[in-house]
Amino acid sequence: MTRVTDSSWKLTDAQLRAWLSGLLDGNSVVAPVEEDGVLLFRPIASAHQAVIKPSGKTRWSPKEFLFPRSEALYRYSFKGGTVQLEDPPVPEKHQVLFGVRSCDASGLVRLDEIFLSGTTDRLYSARRENTTVVSTACAAADQECFCTAVGYSPVGEEGSDVQLVPMDEGWLLRVLTDKGRDLVGDSAEGWKAATAKDGKRLPELEKKVSKQIERSPVNREWSKVLEEGFEHGAWDRLAQHCLGCSVCAYVCPSCSCFDMNHEANAWCGEQCRSWDACTFPLFTHHASGHNPRETKQERYRQRVLHKFAFREEDDEPFRCVGCGRCVALCPAGLDIVNTVAAAVEAIREEGADAAR
Amino acid sequence: MPLAEAIANPYQPSLVRIHDFSDETPDVRTLRLQFVDDNEAGGFAGWEPGQFGQFTVFGAGESVFALANAPWRPNGDQKSVPTIECTFRMVGKVTSALRAMSKGQVIGFRGPYGNHFPVEDWKGKDLVFIGGGIGMAALRSAMLDVINRKSEYGDILILNGARSVGDMVYTDEMPGWQEVDGVKVVRTVDPGGETESWDGEVGLLPNVFEGLGLDPENRIVIACGPPIMLHYLFLSLGKVGYSPDQVVTTLENKMKCGIGHCGRCYVGPFSVCRDGPVVTWAELNELPKDY
Repeated sequence: MTRVTDSSWKLTDAQLRAWLSGLLDGNSVVAPVEEDGVLLFRPIASAHQAVIKPSGKTRWSPKEFLFPRSEALYRYSFKGGTVQLEDPPVPEKHQVLFGVRSCDASGLVRLDEIFLSGTTDRLYSARRENTTVVSTACAAADQECFCTAVGYSPVGEEGSDVQLVPMDEGWLLRVLTDKGRDLVGDSAEGWKAATAKDGKRLPELEKKVSKQIERSPVNREWSKVLEEGFEHGAWDRLAQHCLGCSVCAYVCPSCSCFDMNHEANAWCGEQCRSWDACTFPLFTHHASGHNPRETKQERYRQRVLHKFAFREEDDEPFRCVGCGRCVALCPAGLDIVNTVAAAVEAIREEGADAAR
Repeated sequence: MPLAEAIANPYQPSLVRIHDFSDETPDVRTLRLQFVDDNEAGGFAGWEPGQFGQFTVFGAGESVFALANAPWRPNGDQKSVPTIECTFRMVGKVTSALRAMSKGQVIGFRGPYGNHFPVEDWKGKDLVFIGGGIGMAALRSAMLDVINRKSEYGDILILNGARSVGDMVYTDEMPGWQEVDGVKVVRTVDPGGETESWDGEVGLLPNVFEGLGLDPENRIVIACGPPIMLHYLFLSLGKVGYSPDQVVTTLENKMKCGIGHCGRCYVGPFSVCRDGPVVTWAELNELPKDY
């Protein structure tokens, strides 16, 4: 992980800005931008708009630039007693997601595992193929961060094509994939090659940030405990404060559930996909009236277990990447790491079958 | 990663025309559908019993129905084109809109989706199909397939239950099924649902099944119906001595995408649309009670 190859350079702040500015030529660049004091991913028109910081995350993850909040899957029009169908065009302009935190870059890989597995999603795969991710390693943890507690790293490479590592002065730029190499291209002429010493910054940062994250780790063996205790009574208590608002799912970089509906008038319409969440009661509501997850306890449990249990292989990562947004933004103060720990403790102490 | 341009849109349906329909009950209808474009029909690979499709009423939305006719097995006949049948109950927005459509109108179809009944593995065995209410729709494809190939299977018993006589589906065609040697149909209605002229059984399906006293030896039970029926049926099956491996059912959950992406139909790690809907009772026992 700390290997620094000939694909690493040491850049000054000015050099980084100049590179970003160059990327705007021919690419659609999405980067963190400050709006009314809130950091958000937005398409930028000028490199100066981008907020490039050694730490700190956007309020929303960048997932909407691969998996939009709402989009047409296909369109149709009624003509002469029949129906004409039309695929929406796939985006042609190359997209650069710039300044994505390591956790969010991993979140994109979790999305890939859904949308590119089995039957490939046409729109998602077109965007994904046409996107290069420039991630930013973290020099400090936000208050809510817990990536190291769930098996991820503040300097993680997963999902990144190019990684920017904050140095005491300037940035270490590391090319990690062919896509990243293409993005750097000729720009590297005039950049200073990084040394092996510069590469030591990665383990340093990992150690430093890990220390700031004062959370007990979620053990991989806990998945089985959670599955065995599926019907444990503790879930009633743990979900008691959940309002069912689902902000947790909307801000989550790896939540990928969606709804599909038709929007139409007398002449034409479209099948529309929009973000959805397993914490909503209608999510699983059958037309017959039967609902497998009738209570909020069952819905909250589903969300937690889908992140931390039901893994097919032992080395399969958790589907929670530890960004902490759901903890920071939950209006009821629920904390998914505490919930998992409390559920496991209760299941172990009282037995998997303890009554509700 | 494959080239995006080469990837077909999994959500864009084929157009199918309502060729004909029959009303099973006041709120249940069976549609017979033909592909609008014969070329599209030719590219359609057919289905296996137990698979399902997504049916689109343009302007209203999509609904999931089981593919209810016998699987399309063309045997090299170049002229053969598949038709699709589905049986649905009018309960919501889409099914109400679909019910309001007439012959000749065009709807959308995409599929087939999901796994299927292991009809080939059942050869040489006695089969019991147990269908409660509209649950019969999910069994019809398998029933017709094994009846068509009856010589390869043992005795076939179809046990059909409904709330009342008026809620019985496929009543017109059942006499035809019984004409095949070794096929028997037993019908029952819930107590209170009978009429004066009713000549079938009166009683809940699990009780009627127990009363038949069928030896579990070399027998497969295929059951589909509401969750409460399956719950008591499994209790009966266990009591009579059936092992969970010889009982097959289908899981029904709310579905949208049909391809394991939208996250709606998960039962633990099991995506009903992708990994199901067909499961054995043994497999069901391994899943969390979340259906």
